[in-house]
Amino acid sequence: MEKRLEPRERFCGNCRYHNAYQYPDLILCFVRYQKNEDPVVSTFGCCGKWELKSQECFCLEEALRKRNEREG
Amino acid sequence: MKREDFLRETVIPMKLRPKMTVNQLIQEFSNSGCFGAGRLSSACDIFERMVRDEQCTIFLAVAGAMVPAGLRAVIAYLIRKKLIDVLVSTGANMVHDLVEALGGHHYKGHWFVDDFLLYKYHIFRIYDIFVPEEAFTKADKAIMDMFDEIAKESEGHSLSSCELMWEIGSRLNDPESILRAAYEAKVPVFLPAIRDSEFAFTYWVHSKRHPAGDFLKVDTFKGVSEIINIMERSSRLGMVVLGGGVPRNTVQHAALMAEKGLDYAVVITMDRPETGGLSGSTLKETVSWGKVKEKADKTMVIGDALVIFPLMVAAVLERLGEKLERRSVG
Repeated sequence: MEKRLEPRERFCGNCRYHNAYQYPDLILCFVRYQKNEDPVVSTFGCCGKWELKSQECFCLEEALRKRNEREG
Repeated sequence: MKREDFLRETVIPMKLRPKMTVNQLIQEFSNSGCFGAGRLSSACDIFERMVRDEQCTIFLAVAGAMVPAGLRAVIAYLIRKKLIDVLVSTGANMVHDLVEALGGHHYKGHWFVDDFLLYKYHIFRIYDIFVPEEAFTKADKAIMDMFDEIAKESEGHSLSSCELMWEIGSRLNDPESILRAAYEAKVPVFLPAIRDSEFAFTYWVHSKRHPAGDFLKVDTFKGVSEIINIMERSSRLGMVVLGGGVPRNTVQHAALMAEKGLDYAVVITMDRPETGGLSGSTLKETVSWGKVKEKADKTMVIGDALVIFPLMVAAVLERLGEKLERRSVG
Protein backbone atom coordinates (compact mmCIF):
# COMPACT_ATOMS: atom_id res chain seq x y z
CA MET A 1 0.00 0.00 0.00
CA GLU A 2 1.04 3.59 -0.53
CA LYS A 3 2.00 6.11 2.14
CA ARG A 4 -0.51 6.18 4.97
CA LEU A 5 -2.85 9.09 5.45
CA GLU A 6 -2.62 10.86 8.77
CA PRO A 7 -6.05 11.68 10.23
CA ARG A 8 -6.91 15.34 10.18
CA GLU A 9 -10.58 14.84 10.90
CA ARG A 10 -12.51 12.82 13.44
CA PHE A 11 -13.54 9.48 11.94
CA CYS A 12 -14.79 6.20 13.42
CA GLY A 13 -12.18 4.58 11.18
CA ASN A 14 -9.57 6.11 13.47
CA CYS A 15 -11.16 4.83 16.66
CA ARG A 16 -9.65 1.86 18.46
CA TYR A 17 -13.16 0.53 19.26
CA HIS A 18 -14.04 -0.10 15.62
CA ASN A 19 -14.67 -3.43 13.91
CA ALA A 20 -15.33 -3.84 10.18
CA TYR A 21 -19.04 -4.39 9.46
CA GLN A 22 -19.06 -3.73 5.72
CA TYR A 23 -15.43 -3.09 4.87
CA PRO A 24 -14.40 -0.32 4.39
CA ASP A 25 -17.62 1.74 4.56
CA LEU A 26 -19.42 0.60 7.71
CA ILE A 27 -18.20 -0.11 11.22
CA LEU A 28 -19.70 -1.98 14.14
CA CYS A 29 -19.21 0.04 17.31
CA PHE A 30 -19.51 -2.08 20.46
CA VAL A 31 -19.52 1.05 22.64
CA ARG A 32 -22.73 2.20 20.94
CA TYR A 33 -24.14 -1.33 21.11
CA GLN A 34 -23.62 -1.46 24.87
CA LYS A 35 -25.47 1.85 25.17
CA ASN A 36 -28.39 0.40 23.18
CA GLU A 37 -27.68 2.74 20.27
CA ASP A 38 -27.56 1.61 16.62
CA PRO A 39 -24.05 0.08 16.50
CA VAL A 40 -23.60 0.18 12.72
CA VAL A 41 -22.04 3.50 11.76
CA SER A 42 -20.21 5.00 8.80
CA THR A 43 -16.40 4.84 8.75
CA PHE A 44 -16.63 8.64 8.48
CA GLY A 45 -18.77 8.99 11.62
CA CYS A 46 -17.29 10.13 14.94
CA CYS A 47 -17.99 10.54 18.64
CA GLY A 48 -16.16 11.53 21.83
CA LYS A 49 -14.12 8.31 21.85
CA TRP A 50 -12.05 9.56 18.91
CA GLU A 51 -8.28 9.50 19.34
CA LEU A 52 -5.64 11.34 17.39
CA LYS A 53 -3.48 8.23 17.05
CA SER A 54 -4.03 6.70 13.63
CA GLN A 55 -5.13 3.05 13.55
CA GLU A 56 -2.99 0.51 11.73
CA CYS A 57 -5.79 -0.77 9.50
CA PHE A 58 -6.75 0.40 6.01
CA CYS A 59 -10.44 1.10 6.76
CA LEU A 60 -10.29 4.88 6.63
CA GLU A 61 -7.72 5.02 3.85
CA GLU A 62 -9.78 2.74 1.60
CA ALA A 63 -13.08 4.42 2.49
CA LEU A 64 -11.57 7.81 1.61
CA ARG A 65 -10.24 6.46 -1.66
CA LYS A 66 -13.64 5.01 -2.52
CA ARG A 67 -15.30 8.32 -1.72
CA ASN A 68 -12.79 10.24 -3.83
CA GLU A 69 -13.34 7.87 -6.75
CA ARG A 70 -17.11 8.27 -6.43
CA GLU A 71 -16.82 12.03 -6.39
CA GLY A 72 -14.44 11.94 -9.36
CA MET B 1 1.30 -67.52 20.70
CA LYS B 2 2.84 -69.83 18.17
CA ARG B 3 4.94 -68.70 15.20
CA GLU B 4 2.12 -69.30 12.68
CA ASP B 5 -0.22 -67.06 14.69
CA PHE B 6 1.90 -64.08 13.62
CA LEU B 7 1.70 -65.01 9.96
CA ARG B 8 -2.01 -65.53 9.33
CA GLU B 9 -2.96 -62.65 7.01
CA THR B 10 -0.94 -61.65 3.99
CA VAL B 11 -0.76 -58.09 2.68
CA ILE B 12 -2.74 -58.01 -0.56
CA PRO B 13 -1.36 -55.37 -2.95
CA MET B 14 -3.83 -52.60 -3.69
CA LYS B 15 -5.37 -52.53 -7.14
CA LEU B 16 -6.68 -49.25 -8.52
CA ARG B 17 -8.91 -48.90 -11.55
CA PRO B 18 -10.89 -46.15 -13.29
CA LYS B 19 -14.26 -45.13 -11.84
CA MET B 20 -13.63 -46.76 -8.47
CA THR B 21 -16.08 -45.70 -5.77
CA VAL B 22 -14.90 -44.45 -2.39
CA ASN B 23 -15.90 -47.69 -0.72
CA GLN B 24 -14.07 -49.73 -3.35
CA LEU B 25 -10.92 -47.72 -2.61
CA ILE B 26 -11.39 -48.36 1.11
CA GLN B 27 -11.70 -52.09 0.37
CA GLU B 28 -8.30 -51.90 -1.33
CA PHE B 29 -6.98 -50.13 1.78
CA SER B 30 -8.36 -53.05 3.78
CA ASN B 31 -6.55 -55.51 1.50
CA SER B 32 -3.33 -53.71 2.34
CA GLY B 33 -4.29 -53.44 6.00
CA CYS B 34 -1.18 -51.42 6.72
CA PHE B 35 -0.36 -48.00 8.14
CA GLY B 36 -3.02 -45.30 7.68
CA ALA B 37 -4.80 -47.26 4.96
CA GLY B 38 -5.42 -50.18 7.29
CA ARG B 39 -6.54 -47.93 10.12
CA LEU B 40 -8.91 -45.98 7.88
CA SER B 41 -10.50 -49.18 6.59
CA SER B 42 -10.93 -50.32 10.22
CA ALA B 43 -12.46 -46.95 11.11
CA CYS B 44 -15.02 -47.39 8.30
CA ASP B 45 -15.90 -50.88 9.56
CA ILE B 46 -16.31 -49.63 13.14
CA PHE B 47 -18.41 -46.62 12.15
CA GLU B 48 -20.61 -48.91 10.02
CA ARG B 49 -21.10 -51.26 12.97
CA MET B 50 -21.95 -48.30 15.24
CA VAL B 51 -24.61 -47.12 12.82
CA ARG B 52 -26.06 -50.59 12.30
CA ASP B 53 -26.20 -51.21 16.06
CA GLU B 54 -29.69 -50.00 16.93
CA GLN B 55 -28.85 -49.93 20.64
CA CYS B 56 -25.85 -47.65 20.20
CA THR B 57 -25.91 -43.92 20.87
CA ILE B 58 -23.31 -42.23 18.68
CA PHE B 59 -21.44 -39.16 19.93
CA LEU B 60 -19.51 -37.03 17.43
CA ALA B 61 -16.81 -34.94 19.15
CA VAL B 62 -15.45 -32.10 17.03
CA ALA B 63 -12.43 -29.93 17.76
CA GLY B 64 -10.25 -27.91 15.40
CA ALA B 65 -11.46 -25.69 12.58
CA MET B 66 -13.60 -28.35 10.91
CA VAL B 67 -16.54 -26.08 10.10
CA PRO B 68 -14.45 -23.24 8.57
CA ALA B 69 -12.64 -25.86 6.46
CA GLY B 70 -15.87 -27.17 4.95
CA LEU B 71 -17.29 -30.01 7.08
CA ARG B 72 -20.37 -28.04 8.05
CA ALA B 73 -22.80 -29.59 5.56
CA VAL B 74 -21.40 -33.09 6.21
CA ILE B 75 -22.12 -32.78 9.95
CA ALA B 76 -25.58 -31.31 9.30
CA TYR B 77 -26.29 -34.22 6.92
CA LEU B 78 -25.24 -36.81 9.53
CA ILE B 79 -27.55 -35.12 12.03
CA ARG B 80 -30.50 -35.06 9.63
CA LYS B 81 -29.93 -38.71 8.65
CA LYS B 82 -29.69 -39.61 12.35
CA LEU B 83 -26.26 -41.16 11.79
CA ILE B 84 -25.10 -39.36 14.90
CA ASP B 85 -27.21 -38.88 18.03
CA VAL B 86 -25.25 -36.27 19.99
CA LEU B 87 -22.78 -33.59 18.90
CA VAL B 88 -20.09 -32.32 21.28
CA SER B 89 -18.14 -29.42 19.83
CA THR B 90 -15.90 -26.50 20.53
CA GLY B 91 -17.81 -23.23 20.73
CA ALA B 92 -15.80 -21.89 17.80
CA ASN B 93 -17.12 -24.47 15.34
CA MET B 94 -20.70 -23.47 16.15
CA VAL B 95 -19.82 -19.78 15.84
CA HIS B 96 -18.45 -20.52 12.36
CA ASP B 97 -21.67 -22.41 11.59
CA LEU B 98 -23.54 -19.23 12.54
CA VAL B 99 -21.21 -17.11 10.41
CA GLU B 100 -22.24 -19.09 7.33
CA ALA B 101 -25.91 -19.41 8.35
CA LEU B 102 -26.04 -15.62 8.46
CA GLY B 103 -24.59 -15.23 4.97
CA GLY B 104 -20.88 -14.93 5.78
CA HIS B 105 -18.18 -16.98 4.08
CA HIS B 106 -14.80 -18.57 4.68
CA TYR B 107 -12.28 -18.08 1.87
CA LYS B 108 -9.55 -20.28 0.39
CA GLY B 109 -6.31 -18.58 1.41
CA HIS B 110 -2.71 -19.51 2.02
CA TRP B 111 -0.43 -19.97 5.01
CA PHE B 112 2.42 -18.14 3.26
CA VAL B 113 1.06 -14.65 3.57
CA ASP B 114 1.87 -11.33 5.23
CA ASP B 115 -0.25 -11.68 8.38
CA PHE B 116 0.18 -8.05 9.35
CA LEU B 117 -1.24 -7.07 5.96
CA LEU B 118 -4.23 -9.32 6.69
CA TYR B 119 -4.57 -7.56 10.06
CA LYS B 120 -4.66 -4.18 8.33
CA TYR B 121 -7.39 -5.44 6.00
CA HIS B 122 -9.43 -6.85 8.93
CA ILE B 123 -8.98 -10.43 7.68
CA PHE B 124 -8.35 -13.35 10.07
CA ARG B 125 -6.38 -16.46 9.12
CA ILE B 126 -6.99 -20.07 10.13
CA TYR B 127 -3.98 -21.77 8.54
CA ASP B 128 -4.96 -21.48 4.84
CA ILE B 129 -8.49 -20.17 5.38
CA PHE B 130 -9.27 -16.45 5.41
CA VAL B 131 -12.26 -15.00 7.26
CA PRO B 132 -13.20 -11.34 6.86
CA GLU B 133 -13.87 -9.60 10.15
CA GLU B 134 -17.30 -8.45 9.00
CA ALA B 135 -18.44 -12.09 8.89
CA PHE B 136 -17.70 -12.22 12.62
CA THR B 137 -19.12 -8.83 13.56
CA LYS B 138 -22.38 -9.62 11.76
CA ALA B 139 -22.55 -12.95 13.59
CA ASP B 140 -21.68 -11.19 16.88
CA LYS B 141 -24.51 -8.72 16.47
CA ALA B 142 -26.96 -11.48 15.55
CA ILE B 143 -25.87 -13.59 18.54
CA MET B 144 -26.21 -10.63 20.93
CA ASP B 145 -29.67 -9.85 19.57
CA MET B 146 -30.62 -13.52 20.04
CA PHE B 147 -29.23 -13.45 23.59
CA ASP B 148 -31.49 -10.45 24.34
CA GLU B 149 -34.51 -12.32 23.00
CA ILE B 150 -33.70 -15.62 24.73
CA ALA B 151 -33.01 -13.82 28.04
CA LYS B 152 -36.44 -12.21 27.89
CA GLU B 153 -38.14 -15.54 27.11
CA SER B 154 -36.26 -17.56 29.73
CA GLU B 155 -37.13 -15.07 32.53
CA GLY B 156 -34.01 -15.69 34.62
CA HIS B 157 -34.06 -19.47 34.15
CA SER B 158 -30.55 -20.85 33.46
CA LEU B 159 -29.94 -22.64 30.19
CA SER B 160 -27.40 -25.34 29.49
CA SER B 161 -25.17 -24.97 26.42
CA CYS B 162 -27.36 -27.61 24.79
CA GLU B 163 -30.59 -25.69 25.43
CA LEU B 164 -28.94 -22.50 24.23
CA MET B 165 -27.81 -24.14 20.97
CA TRP B 166 -31.36 -25.34 20.25
CA GLU B 167 -32.67 -21.84 20.96
CA ILE B 168 -30.16 -20.41 18.48
CA GLY B 169 -30.86 -23.18 15.95
CA SER B 170 -34.58 -22.41 16.11
CA ARG B 171 -33.80 -18.86 14.97
CA LEU B 172 -31.82 -19.87 11.87
CA ASN B 173 -33.22 -20.62 8.41
CA ASP B 174 -30.22 -22.16 6.65
CA PRO B 175 -30.95 -25.90 6.05
CA GLU B 176 -27.19 -26.60 5.84
CA SER B 177 -26.63 -25.16 9.30
CA ILE B 178 -25.54 -27.66 11.94
CA LEU B 179 -27.49 -25.82 14.63
CA ARG B 180 -30.64 -25.65 12.51
CA ALA B 181 -30.37 -29.36 11.66
CA ALA B 182 -29.78 -30.23 15.34
CA TYR B 183 -32.79 -28.18 16.42
CA GLU B 184 -35.05 -29.83 13.84
CA ALA B 185 -33.76 -33.37 14.47
CA LYS B 186 -33.68 -32.79 18.25
CA VAL B 187 -30.02 -33.81 18.37
CA PRO B 188 -28.35 -32.39 21.50
CA VAL B 189 -25.35 -30.12 20.86
CA PHE B 190 -23.01 -29.78 23.85
CA LEU B 191 -20.41 -27.01 24.01
CA PRO B 192 -18.45 -27.91 27.16
CA ALA B 193 -16.02 -25.02 26.64
CA ILE B 194 -18.58 -22.48 25.45
CA ARG B 195 -16.81 -19.67 27.27
CA ASP B 196 -13.70 -20.29 25.16
CA SER B 197 -15.25 -18.92 21.99
CA GLU B 198 -16.89 -15.89 20.40
CA PHE B 199 -20.01 -16.83 22.37
CA ALA B 200 -18.17 -15.63 25.48
CA PHE B 201 -17.26 -12.23 24.05
CA THR B 202 -20.80 -11.65 22.81
CA TYR B 203 -22.14 -12.84 26.18
CA TRP B 204 -19.95 -10.27 27.95
CA VAL B 205 -21.17 -7.44 25.70
CA HIS B 206 -24.77 -8.65 26.09
CA SER B 207 -24.46 -8.69 29.89
CA LYS B 208 -23.06 -5.13 29.88
CA ARG B 209 -26.26 -4.04 28.14
CA HIS B 210 -28.30 -5.39 31.04
CA PRO B 211 -26.85 -3.80 34.19
CA ALA B 212 -30.01 -4.69 36.14
CA GLY B 213 -29.05 -8.35 35.86
CA ASP B 214 -31.79 -9.35 33.39
CA PHE B 215 -29.28 -10.89 31.01
CA LEU B 216 -29.11 -14.45 29.74
CA LYS B 217 -28.04 -17.07 32.30
CA VAL B 218 -25.98 -20.02 31.06
CA ASP B 219 -25.10 -22.85 33.44
CA THR B 220 -22.16 -24.78 31.98
CA PHE B 221 -22.37 -27.49 34.68
CA LYS B 222 -25.97 -28.28 33.71
CA GLY B 223 -24.67 -30.05 30.62
CA VAL B 224 -22.81 -32.58 32.77
CA SER B 225 -25.95 -34.28 34.05
CA GLU B 226 -27.62 -33.92 30.65
CA ILE B 227 -24.91 -35.87 28.82
CA ILE B 228 -24.57 -38.45 31.60
CA ASN B 229 -28.35 -38.99 31.55
CA ILE B 230 -28.19 -39.72 27.82
CA MET B 231 -25.41 -42.23 28.42
CA GLU B 232 -27.27 -43.90 31.30
CA ARG B 233 -30.30 -44.37 29.04
CA SER B 234 -28.18 -45.91 26.27
CA SER B 235 -27.44 -49.61 25.99
CA ARG B 236 -24.23 -49.06 24.07
CA LEU B 237 -22.03 -46.04 23.45
CA GLY B 238 -20.06 -45.05 20.35
CA MET B 239 -17.70 -42.13 19.84
CA VAL B 240 -16.22 -40.58 16.70
CA VAL B 241 -13.59 -37.92 17.40
CA LEU B 242 -12.27 -35.28 15.03
CA GLY B 243 -9.17 -33.82 16.67
CA GLY B 244 -9.71 -34.33 20.37
CA GLY B 245 -9.43 -31.72 23.12
CA VAL B 246 -12.31 -30.86 25.43
CA PRO B 247 -15.02 -32.43 23.18
CA ARG B 248 -13.27 -35.82 23.19
CA ASN B 249 -12.77 -35.84 26.95
CA THR B 250 -16.34 -34.67 27.57
CA VAL B 251 -17.64 -37.79 25.84
CA GLN B 252 -15.10 -40.16 27.38
CA HIS B 253 -15.45 -38.77 30.88
CA ALA B 254 -19.25 -38.86 30.77
CA ALA B 255 -19.02 -42.52 29.71
CA LEU B 256 -16.93 -43.17 32.80
CA MET B 257 -19.29 -41.25 35.09
CA ALA B 258 -22.24 -43.19 33.67
CA GLU B 259 -20.28 -46.29 34.77
CA LYS B 260 -20.36 -47.73 31.29
CA GLY B 261 -17.31 -46.99 29.17
CA LEU B 262 -17.44 -46.70 25.41
CA ASP B 263 -18.22 -49.74 23.26
CA TYR B 264 -17.05 -48.24 19.97
CA ALA B 265 -14.46 -45.52 19.34
CA VAL B 266 -12.90 -43.96 16.25
CA VAL B 267 -10.39 -41.17 16.85
CA ILE B 268 -8.98 -39.16 13.94
CA THR B 269 -6.09 -36.97 15.02
CA MET B 270 -2.64 -35.68 14.11
CA ASP B 271 -1.58 -35.41 17.75
CA ARG B 272 1.04 -37.56 19.44
CA PRO B 273 0.74 -39.38 22.76
CA GLU B 274 4.22 -38.54 24.09
CA THR B 275 3.28 -35.12 25.46
CA GLY B 276 0.53 -36.54 27.67
CA GLY B 277 -2.09 -34.34 26.03
CA LEU B 278 -5.52 -35.88 25.63
CA SER B 279 -5.88 -35.32 21.88
CA GLY B 280 -2.95 -37.61 21.15
CA SER B 281 -3.62 -40.16 23.87
CA THR B 282 -4.12 -43.65 22.52
CA LEU B 283 -7.38 -45.52 23.00
CA LYS B 284 -5.31 -48.17 24.81
CA GLU B 285 -4.37 -45.47 27.33
CA THR B 286 -8.04 -44.47 27.58
CA VAL B 287 -8.85 -48.04 28.64
CA SER B 288 -6.73 -47.51 31.77
CA TRP B 289 -9.18 -44.81 32.90
CA GLY B 290 -12.21 -47.01 32.29
CA LYS B 291 -13.49 -44.54 29.72
CA VAL B 292 -13.25 -47.04 26.86
CA LYS B 293 -13.99 -50.72 27.44
CA GLU B 294 -11.09 -53.10 27.04
CA LYS B 295 -13.02 -55.12 24.47
CA ALA B 296 -14.29 -52.01 22.66
CA ASP B 297 -14.32 -51.93 18.88
CA LYS B 298 -11.79 -49.13 18.45
CA THR B 299 -9.15 -47.55 16.27
CA MET B 300 -7.16 -44.36 16.00
CA VAL B 301 -6.39 -42.94 12.57
CA ILE B 302 -3.41 -40.61 12.42
CA GLY B 303 -4.18 -38.08 9.72
CA ASP B 304 -5.91 -34.90 8.68
CA ALA B 305 -9.53 -35.20 9.77
CA LEU B 306 -10.57 -33.08 6.81
CA VAL B 307 -9.39 -35.89 4.52
CA ILE B 308 -10.07 -38.96 6.66
CA PHE B 309 -13.55 -38.17 7.96
CA PRO B 310 -15.24 -37.45 4.58
CA LEU B 311 -13.67 -40.63 3.15
CA MET B 312 -14.97 -42.63 6.11
CA VAL B 313 -18.46 -41.15 5.92
CA ALA B 314 -18.68 -41.52 2.13
CA ALA B 315 -17.62 -45.17 2.29
CA VAL B 316 -20.12 -45.97 5.04
CA LEU B 317 -22.95 -44.12 3.29
CA GLU B 318 -22.20 -46.21 0.21
CA ARG B 319 -22.39 -49.39 2.27
CA LEU B 320 -25.64 -48.35 3.93
CA GLY B 321 -27.35 -47.31 0.71
CA GLU B 322 -30.27 -44.93 0.47
CA LYS B 323 -32.74 -47.08 2.35
CA LEU B 324 -31.20 -46.88 5.79
CA GLU B 325 -33.63 -45.64 8.39
CA ARG B 326 -31.82 -45.28 11.66
CA ARG B 327 -33.85 -44.37 14.68
CA SER B 328 -32.64 -41.54 16.89
CA VAL B 329 -31.37 -42.92 20.17
CA GLY B 330 -30.50 -39.65 21.92
